[in-house]
Amino acid sequence: MPKRSTVIVAVVAAAAVVAGSVAAAVALIPSGPPEKTTVTMRLWDDQVAAAYETSFAEFEKANEDITVDVQVIGWADYWTKLRTDIAGKSIDDIFWVNGGNFVDYANNGDLLDITEALGADAQKAWAPSVVAQYSLNGSLWGVPQLADPGIGMFYNEDLVRAAGIDPTSLSSLHWDPTGADDTLLPVLKKLTVDANGNTADSPQFDPKKIVQYGYNAANDLNAIYINYLGSNGAALQSGDEFVFDSPAGVAAFQYLVDLINVHHVSPSAADTNTNGDFSRDQFTQGKMALFQSGVYNLANVEQGADFPWSVATMPAGPAGAISVTNGVVAAANAHSAHPDAVKKVLQWLGSEAGSAPIGATGSASPAVTAAQQVYLDFWNEKGIGVTPFFDVLANGTVQAPQGAKWQAAQEAFGPVFEEIFLGRTPVAEGLATAQQAANAAIK
Amino acid sequence: MLARRNAITGYSLLAPSLFGLICFLVFPVLIVLWLSFQQWDLISPARFVGLDNYRSVLSDPVFANSLMVTAVFVLIVIPIQTVLGLLVASWLTRGLPGSLVLRTIYVLPWICAPLALGVVWKWIFAPTDGALNAILGIRVEWLTNLDLALPAVCAVVIWTNVGYITLFFMAGLLNIPEHVIEAAAIDGASPFTTFWRVKLPLLRPTMFFVLVTSVISTFQIFDQVYALTGGGPQHRTDVIAARIYFEAFQTFDMGRAAVMAVVLLVILVGITLAQQLYFGRRTTYDLSS
Repeated sequence: MPKRSTVIVAVVAAAAVVAGSVAAAVALIPSGPPEKTTVTMRLWDDQVAAAYETSFAEFEKANEDITVDVQVIGWADYWTKLRTDIAGKSIDDIFWVNGGNFVDYANNGDLLDITEALGADAQKAWAPSVVAQYSLNGSLWGVPQLADPGIGMFYNEDLVRAAGIDPTSLSSLHWDPTGADDTLLPVLKKLTVDANGNTADSPQFDPKKIVQYGYNAANDLNAIYINYLGSNGAALQSGDEFVFDSPAGVAAFQYLVDLINVHHVSPSAADTNTNGDFSRDQFTQGKMALFQSGVYNLANVEQGADFPWSVATMPAGPAGAISVTNGVVAAANAHSAHPDAVKKVLQWLGSEAGSAPIGATGSASPAVTAAQQVYLDFWNEKGIGVTPFFDVLANGTVQAPQGAKWQAAQEAFGPVFEEIFLGRTPVAEGLATAQQAANAAIK
Repeated sequence: MLARRNAITGYSLLAPSLFGLICFLVFPVLIVLWLSFQQWDLISPARFVGLDNYRSVLSDPVFANSLMVTAVFVLIVIPIQTVLGLLVASWLTRGLPGSLVLRTIYVLPWICAPLALGVVWKWIFAPTDGALNAILGIRVEWLTNLDLALPAVCAVVIWTNVGYITLFFMAGLLNIPEHVIEAAAIDGASPFTTFWRVKLPLLRPTMFFVLVTSVISTFQIFDQVYALTGGGPQHRTDVIAARIYFEAFQTFDMGRAAVMAVVLLVILVGITLAQQLYFGRRTTYDLSS
């Protein structure tokens, strides 16, 4: 009987021979194409996602070892899912963030420092307003993708002309909370019609049977109330602090609330509070004459409206027509498993070639300045003048939403704003409550 | 030795479900308990804060309102859906023509995704272009009116659940021996007396099951509320599960959300024990006599 030690030595020797043979065999197998790295990217806009597919098809031709997988997460769940995925370390390599939602992640070390990754010179190719919006502590925290210009006013040419209003006069409308110098309200009254054909400036007008609205005054931060605040010399925030509860802020909100609940030229907040698309749908169905919104609704209106429409400058307030301007960036996961591939994709996203498809489909205005002309050309070819969205920025802008804990703040002031627009909470009282709650939430 | 072997066999058979119970119930409950003593926003490291979250939640009027709204919600939904379920089951067990089709139709809402149903009902309730107002020919702001929002949500939940409850009552009614009903008829009992004095007492096991599961699921209602009202207007439909969600995923205060979940757990355990005590003394599972 062989000794135990002899058996062990024999087994080890046999194992070594087998392992060596396998290693040699593996080494002799001809190597295949290089393994592909998949970079994942998420955003909330399916129109831009389609443009990205076109863009990344080109990128992948030049980078055969990288595949980019684009995923769309609906806006309603986007921020909740982003937060939980970051907490669960299952976030995509690249993801869109907006101005109100990047600070928490940047401060927490979850985002790649773009200034460090791509170099400070890369920023020269991007819209300065977006670069400024997403710069924090001396660094940029995302590659600018969309540069929404300002807010404009879509109008239904047929309805405007039928009311005897010259469409070219719409760009010079102005509102005044004191009523002394208000040209907007009389126009809106002419454009609001009940089931009997009476307009809102008629004594016979029945506000319970409105079939055509004049305008979309509503609890809509980006398209409506932040611009009314700015146009009356007020603001939503100053830095991170909420400051909308000022005499000018109260007057601006009161004007909006009265358009809905006193003059009945805009849909009830019972419709618009819970359905953010209600006004847009009314406009595209030909039931609303003027629809104030941004370029983010250009493609939707173009696809939905079967009547002649155009865009005018948004109404001016006592301080002028002061609009918000916003950008969106592609932020990168600071803990990605393949940082080199991510860096290449980011460079592509920040290039003219990478961003041009966004503008070429008219889905959004690219933040890469060299790609913006493509966007303007797209709409010009369709006969839609989009310059009012851009021209309004010459008047100055109101600060876009920003700061840490933005969602918590919104959860605090949002329900109060709903009540204000419903007309159940007096404006001054509601704004005071909302501002206190919002500032407490960001502490 | 045999006893030991039997015990091992027993535990081996229990192991799969015990594993599931520990992993998906006990472990999460323990994590929630741990979280209730932390301050955590999902991305920053959790920080121990002792009883601060408990103090904060238990003195918060918004949370007190949520408890009240949930209690009212349960008190409206449970009796109505139970009575309706019982009535529909009694009707369907008579074997009238079309019963089979109606059974299927009644259960359809329950098998649909609650969130999808919420979205559909939101369209139906829409003030300007909603189907309900179009049919009624009036404008009612169902989901933003302070007095109507909660009843509207209750109506949707009842409509969703009635078919499910009907199924259980049907099974219970069909399980009652025919000779017991015949004996009651021979004794001269009217249909109402037979139902009230004979069928209903024999339905207690079913009633116990239906009430325990309904109360628990109604306390945990979230999807329809989220889709229909988001807890508004003025927190009038801010049920406790919705409040937990908003606290956790809108304000990202996981510690406070965990405290609310613990409170909900305590309430549900208390109510279930009370139901167990009440029905335990009065329920017989022997239908043979």
